[in-house]
Amino acid sequence: MDVKLILSLLAENVERTGYPVPVDVERIYSWAKPLNLPRGGRAVLYTGALYQLAPYINSLVRHLESLEGRRAGGLALRLAKTLGKIIDLGKVVAKADPGEIKAVEEVLRSIARLLSAAGVEYGYLYEDDMYSGVILYDMGLDEAFARHAKMVAETLEKSGASLIITVDPHTTHVLRSVFPEYVDGFGLEVKNYLEILSENIDSLKPRRGEAGYRVVIHDPCFYARHEGIVEEPRQLLRFAGLEVEEPPRSGKMTYCCGGPVEAVSPSLSRRIAETRLRELQGVGGRIVTMCPICYVNLRRVGGKVEDIALHLSRRLL
Amino acid sequence: MSGNPGRIVDGLKSLLGRDRVVDDEAVVRLYSREPSGLESQALAVVFPETVRDVSRLARYAYSRDLKLYPQGSSTSLSGSSVPLEEGVVVSFERMNQVSEVSVVDSIAVVGPGVRIDELNLMLAEKGYMFPVDPASAAVATVGGAINSGAGGMRSAKYGTMRDWVLGLQLVLPDEHGTVLRVGCRTLKCRQGYDLVRLIVGSEGTLAMVTEAILRITPLPEQVVVALAFYPELRNVAEAVVAVKEQSVQPYLMEFMDRKTVEAAAKAMNIPVETPGHMLLVGVDVNREATGRFVEWLGKTLRATGAVKLHVADTLREAEDKGFFTLRRSLFPAQIKLAREAAGSRRVLVYIEDIAVPPSRLVDAVEGLRSLEDKYGLPTMIGGHVGDGNLHPAVGFDPHNEDQARRVEEWFEEVMELALKLGGTISSEHGIGTLKRSGLRREFEHLGSAKALELMRGLKRLFDPKGILNPGKVV
Amino acid sequence: MAAWGRSRLLEEAGKCAYCGFCEAVCPTLPYGRHRGYGPRGRVLLTAHLARGGKASPEVLSSIYTCLTCAACTLKCPAGIDIPALVRAARSLLVAVHEKTII
Ligand SMILES: Cc1cc2nc3c(=O)[nH]c(=O)nc-3n(C[C@H](O)[C@H](O)[C@H](O)COP(=O)(O)OP(=O)(O)OC[C@H]3O[C@@H](n4cnc5c(N)ncnc54)[C@H](O)[C@@H]3O)c2cc1C
Ligand code: SF4
Ligand code: SF4
Repeated sequence: MDVKLILSLLAENVERTGYPVPVDVERIYSWAKPLNLPRGGRAVLYTGALYQLAPYINSLVRHLESLEGRRAGGLALRLAKTLGKIIDLGKVVAKADPGEIKAVEEVLRSIARLLSAAGVEYGYLYEDDMYSGVILYDMGLDEAFARHAKMVAETLEKSGASLIITVDPHTTHVLRSVFPEYVDGFGLEVKNYLEILSENIDSLKPRRGEAGYRVVIHDPCFYARHEGIVEEPRQLLRFAGLEVEEPPRSGKMTYCCGGPVEAVSPSLSRRIAETRLRELQGVGGRIVTMCPICYVNLRRVGGKVEDIALHLSRRLL
Repeated sequence: MSGNPGRIVDGLKSLLGRDRVVDDEAVVRLYSREPSGLESQALAVVFPETVRDVSRLARYAYSRDLKLYPQGSSTSLSGSSVPLEEGVVVSFERMNQVSEVSVVDSIAVVGPGVRIDELNLMLAEKGYMFPVDPASAAVATVGGAINSGAGGMRSAKYGTMRDWVLGLQLVLPDEHGTVLRVGCRTLKCRQGYDLVRLIVGSEGTLAMVTEAILRITPLPEQVVVALAFYPELRNVAEAVVAVKEQSVQPYLMEFMDRKTVEAAAKAMNIPVETPGHMLLVGVDVNREATGRFVEWLGKTLRATGAVKLHVADTLREAEDKGFFTLRRSLFPAQIKLAREAAGSRRVLVYIEDIAVPPSRLVDAVEGLRSLEDKYGLPTMIGGHVGDGNLHPAVGFDPHNEDQARRVEEWFEEVMELALKLGGTISSEHGIGTLKRSGLRREFEHLGSAKALELMRGLKRLFDPKGILNPGKVV
Repeated sequence: MAAWGRSRLLEEAGKCAYCGFCEAVCPTLPYGRHRGYGPRGRVLLTAHLARGGKASPEVLSSIYTCLTCAACTLKCPAGIDIPALVRAARSLLVAVHEKTII
């Protein structure tokens, strides 16, 4: 069972370091430094580190892809007999695209500023902003996930917050819909920032006098199908004066970016992303993503995409 | 078959390439079953990508007496796509190119693996459609639909596959793996005996279809739709008569009897204010005539006793208002109810496929209801009343011997009922293995046992060694 | 939810009518080698594993290439939660190989 190697690599890292790839904790929260966000509070921003990790995961995927390419056909998981030896995660991480790292940090800062602009009072977790453990859950590493989730839950509870604000679809789903099943007595309220912005839309003001432009929306599966977040992003984009276009497959029937299998089968993931990108490009308009996995995966196949938070902050701040 | 299974698989791999052969047992099992519940275990699945692959495969199989089982999406309900003896499934899923769409010539040239909805999505961009719409169109392939002679909701107006296939490329299971083209790419075509129509509905027993020239037609400008509920079965029949007597051929005309409406609504949590026998009628119109037809349809249905009536100007509106919800819930409701009744893990839902002349609808439904009582089998009755095609369905637990036996007897009597009313035992699902005795019965009923003999002769002519989908149809 | 155990998995997978209505929306199926790369195949293969069937490379590819995107679930007339089945199968595989995997 070769897939074990990739899985165990990622799982082992989560168990040892808290993250699927080895990064400094500092890299997880350094985006927030310029903002002087208060620590803790009744409501806290919890990124689950997914945006921050995306460039490193992407770098790993590129690496796996090159390995896969070198062998005749087949999934990365099949060639992986010697994977443990081939992959030095430290090196892979060092090769992450600095542009991408900067971009995701800017997304997070935009989210934070948007929340403040909407009059939301919240704090941040800094070094307690842990990874949610979503990959353990996805891969069926149930016990490891349960252990990790418990740790995350305890940390969140210790912060004293009663409302957790999440920023990406996977973390939102795992925290809101999965944690209660795995962590006894998990009772924190979880809301996504798009939901919160939409609730407080009256406190936001679109910039005057600037011409809007056309955007085409790519719904992440986990927002649209698992968490029912479909209307909020559209409402916000329109409120910001943008013209929202729908690809053929959108809303609840959205089409996955291919991201979730990027590590197991980079080539399959790539083909799905290419198909989706073509579809989005066919509509015309700037492509809006709302998930770091969608963002890197569509970019990996050459897509020019931008996170919704950047569009919104440009027009609403 | 000569040679052991391992050798055969190796032989196929060197013939077609490793990536076109799968012999993983669990995956092969996925290709050895049908929604009918029938299952078996083939040796391997091959995935030809070109007509040349298919021809070489046929030649290879002929020389080794290897049985071939052509397959599209294996959604057949008749047993036609399940391998019976040791052999190889030929999956056409990779031959899924639409190579040409010509609006001027009114044709589409497609590979057998193209799914019908997929084709329709492409055609819709040009304002056209392929009108044969089995309820399984999202998954059913062109090759499978041709070979099972599929029909659908629009069949009263547009007919079935046999009316929409103009030409075929075929590979014969003979010494040479002969490739031939029959039919034309023109609508009119008098090419001696009609081999195209012979292949349509032949259930993969005569030849493998590697390409089809299909006829296409413009999408209707607009379709007005009415959803009506009737207290009495007689009313429904009157409504059908009333519509037809005004020289209107509806775009679709779907029916579910009262018991079925109630059961489906309950099972799937669909609110129905005044349940009764359901009739769903769509009429295609010119946009300017919408108002007139909406009014006419409403008046006609009310005059025949509809207690509850909803009308929509367009298909879109009808969709949005949920007119199709009940009709579409039929299959899931059948599954759900069968599970609840059987209470065991695996249940089978048996979907019958008789047709009776639409004028005998009342007799047919009443007959089916008395069979339900006789055998104690809760039955769902829905169908296409426009063409008299009814799909009575029962769910049961195949491991419950008593139930299974009752279903078998019920099944025979349903066919008998259809024949007695001047109908047929299979309208669109085909004969496969499940209806071979029914086919015999139908020809006996017609005093035409000879027809079966002719068919067997044809089978030998096309497939001298009996290696192509053996054990089906005749 | 906590991953389904063997019996729940078999119960859920047993609802499958093999109608294939789920297949058209699956992103992985068109690029996979066979039906195992689509929801209909995955449902049956999870049951195969739950019954103790062999975890061959093809079976593993099927189970691990699922995006758990849930497009299929919206189309399934039997209301099967396919991503949940897939995760249950993955967790069974982990349990079986517990000692070697982490
Ligand atoms: C829920 C449900 C609803 C359905 N509703 C309808 C309906 O409304 N109307 C209707 O007509 N049917 C219906 N069916 C039955 C079935 O879906 C159709 O008959 C469909 O056309 C079969 O297509 P397929 O690709 O699955 O073919 P398969 O099941 O794979 O094959 C059908 C037959 O064709 C042969 N075949 C397939 N491809 C080729 C080829 N390239 N060359 C030679 N032989 C070939 C096979 O050997 C087999 O005999 C329904 C089935 C289900 C499960
Ligand atoms: S959840 Fe898995 S099986 Fe279902 S559509 Fe997505 S990739 Fe396909
Ligand atoms: S739609 Fe549901 S019942 Fe039909 S094949 Fe797919 S999983 Fe099975």
